[in-house]
Amino acid sequence: MAEILHVGIDLGTSRSAISASNGERFVVDSFVGWPLDMVAKKVLKRDVLIGHEAVSNRTMLDLHRPLERGLLKEGSEKDVEAVRELLRHLLRLVGVNGKIDASNVRAVVGVPAAALRTNKQYLRNSMKGIVDSLLIVSEPFAVAYGLDALLHTMIIDIGAGTTDFCVMKGRYPTEEDQRTLMIAGDSIDTQLLKLIEERYPQANVTVFMVREWKEKHSFVGEPQAPVIVTAPVKGVPTELDITSDLRTACETILPPITETMIDLLARVEPEFQERVRTNIILSGGGGLIRGLSDALENALKGVGGGKVRYMEDPVFIGSDGGLALAIDAPEGDWEKLTA
Amino acid sequence: MRAARIERVKRRVLRQAVAENLDVIRGVPPRAVRPGNRYVRIWLRRAPYLLVPLVIVAWLGRGGQAIPPVVEAGLAAQPRAVNAGQAGLPVLHETTTSVERVTSAAFPLAVRRVVLDAGHGGSDPGATAVSVTEKTITLDIGHRLRGLLEREGFEVITTRADDRTIALRDRARLANDSNSDIFVSIHVNAIVKHTASRGIETYYLGPTNDPSLTQLAAAENSVSGYSLGDMRKLLDGVYADARRDESHELATIVQRELFTSLRASDSGLENWGVKRAPFIVLVATDMPAVLAEVGCLSNEKEAAMLRRPEYRQKIAAALFDGIRAYASANDGPKTKGSPNHG
Repeated sequence: MAEILHVGIDLGTSRSAISASNGERFVVDSFVGWPLDMVAKKVLKRDVLIGHEAVSNRTMLDLHRPLERGLLKEGSEKDVEAVRELLRHLLRLVGVNGKIDASNVRAVVGVPAAALRTNKQYLRNSMKGIVDSLLIVSEPFAVAYGLDALLHTMIIDIGAGTTDFCVMKGRYPTEEDQRTLMIAGDSIDTQLLKLIEERYPQANVTVFMVREWKEKHSFVGEPQAPVIVTAPVKGVPTELDITSDLRTACETILPPITETMIDLLARVEPEFQERVRTNIILSGGGGLIRGLSDALENALKGVGGGKVRYMEDPVFIGSDGGLALAIDAPEGDWEKLTA
Repeated sequence: MRAARIERVKRRVLRQAVAENLDVIRGVPPRAVRPGNRYVRIWLRRAPYLLVPLVIVAWLGRGGQAIPPVVEAGLAAQPRAVNAGQAGLPVLHETTTSVERVTSAAFPLAVRRVVLDAGHGGSDPGATAVSVTEKTITLDIGHRLRGLLEREGFEVITTRADDRTIALRDRARLANDSNSDIFVSIHVNAIVKHTASRGIETYYLGPTNDPSLTQLAAAENSVSGYSLGDMRKLLDGVYADARRDESHELATIVQRELFTSLRASDSGLENWGVKRAPFIVLVATDMPAVLAEVGCLSNEKEAAMLRRPEYRQKIAAALFDGIRAYASANDGPKTKGSPNHG
C-alpha cells in the first residue's frame, strides 16, 4: 500500500506553515510572484517565485499576496493560481511529488475563525488535484487541538491579516464561540509606516522594512531600550529612533483585543468563567509582541483577574495542531472528505 | 483518567469538525447549537411522549371540560376562534384563524443603514484655522459617530475612512449603491467676514433665495464634477421629491440635538436653524439626506474647542442622538423614497 502523508497547513496572510507526518516542517512567506517580462524571466530563470525569494525579487515580479485577511480572495484568478502555487510549493517542501504522490496526501488546513462557508468551499475547490483529501478547520481550533486545550480555554491567535478568538468548550467551536478581528499584524504595519512617514518625511521607508522592524522589536508598555533602525534619507543611510512610533502602532491593537476577549469571556457560562480567564493562550506572530500578555492580564484585573500565556514558538503551532487532527481523523472520514 | 477524558473530547470535536466539513461539501445549512447536556437532549426528545398522557389525565381530571388556553406572560391574549362553551370535545390547543393587522412596530429597522460623509478630504482641506482643517475634524467626528452607531446596531457606510480626495458625485454614488436609509454629511463652517459669529446649522435639499447660501453651496459644489446642465437636471428632478419631507424631519431632529447638546458647553453658540440649500451631496443622493455644519472654524474660540477630542466626541454623540431619535420616530416599514408619516 502506498505511503499516506498527513499534513497540517496554516495558510496565513503573511506566512504559511506546513507540518508533515514524515517529520518535515517548513514556513514560507505567503508571497507568489511571476516574472514581469521576458527579461525578468531570463534573469530569474524561473516561471514562478515563492516566499522570501519572491519578496527579495519583487521589482521584477508581478507579486501577489493571495490571502487577504487569511482568506482566499475571490474573483481574482491570479490570486487563486497564487494560492495553488503556494500550496504546491509547501507540499513539495515536505516531499510531495518527489517520493510521495499528491493522491496520497491528507491535509488539514486552518482558516480564520469567521471564514464563511462559501470561503471554505472556494478554498476546497482551489485545492482540487493538489491533495487527495481535505479537512478545513478554524485556525484557533487547530491550535487548541494541538495543545490539548479543548476545554475551558481561550485561544487568541494574532496573525497578519486577522486576530482570531476561540473559546473551547469541549466541542467543535460554533459561531458564538469565535470572533475574528481585522486588526492584526498588518494594521500595525500600516500604522507604523504612517507614523514614521509623519515623523521622518524625508526618509524612504517601505512596508517591508516596517514589517521587519516590527517583527524584531515590537512591544507594548514601557520600552526596554530605544528602537533605532536604519533607513535611507535622501539616499544616505540614517539612524531613526522609532521607539514611540512602534509603541503607538503596537498599542492600537490592544483596545479591540481586550474588548473582544472580555466580551467573549462574559458569554461563557458563569461557573466556568474563572477557568477560562486563567487559561488564555496567545498564539500567532502577534503573540510575540513583548508586554502583550501582561497588558491583557492587566485588563483582566477588572473582571476578576486571569492568566495569559504565550507560545514561545508560534510559527508551527497552528500547522502542528492541523497535523495532529490529520493523524487522528479516522480513515473512514478521510474517504468522505475527498478534495 | 484525565488523559482518557481528553481523548474522549478529542474524538468528539474531530467528529464534529468532519461533520461540519461534510455539511459544507453537501451545501447543508449550519447546524443549530445543541444543548451541551446530553440528558437535556434526551428529555427534550422524550417530552412529546410525556406531555400527551399528562394532557389527557388533566382533561379527565376536569371532567372532560375544555382546558383553557394558556396565555404566556408578556403576550397579549388573542381573540378566541373556538367557543369554549361547546363542551364535549377536548380542546387541547386553541388556534385563531382571524388575521391580526401587524403593527409597524413589528419592523423596528426602517433606518438600518446609515451613510456618514466626512466632508472634504485629501487635496481638499475645506475650511482651515490655525493647526486644524475641516477635513480632519469631519473625519474624526465621522469615526466617533460610526463607533456609536455600530454599537447601537446600525450598519454604517462611510464615504471616506481616511484622508483622501473623494469626488462629491462618488460620495453620492456610494450612498445610492449601498441602498442606505439615510445620509448624513458632516461639515464645519467658516464665515471669514464675521469671525465673531459661531453657530450650528443643518441643511436639507431645497431651493434657496439666500445669496449667502447660494454662495456656500456653490463653494461646496465646486469640486463636484457636475456641469451646470447636469445640476439643473438634477435639481428639477428632485425639488419635488417626496423624500424632502423626510430630510426636513431628519434635519430638524439633528439640529435640535446638536444645538441642545453643544450649547451646554458654549453658552455663546447660536442656533442658526434648519435651512434649505442645493448641496450636491443632498441633490444626488436617493435617500433622506442632511448636511450638518457642526461648528465654525472662523471663530477662534470655537476653533479651539474643535481641536479638543472631548468636544468632537460630544458632537458625534449629539449627531448620534439625532439619528437615533429619527430612527425611533420612523420605525415603521417604509418604501425607499416615499414618506413615512402615519
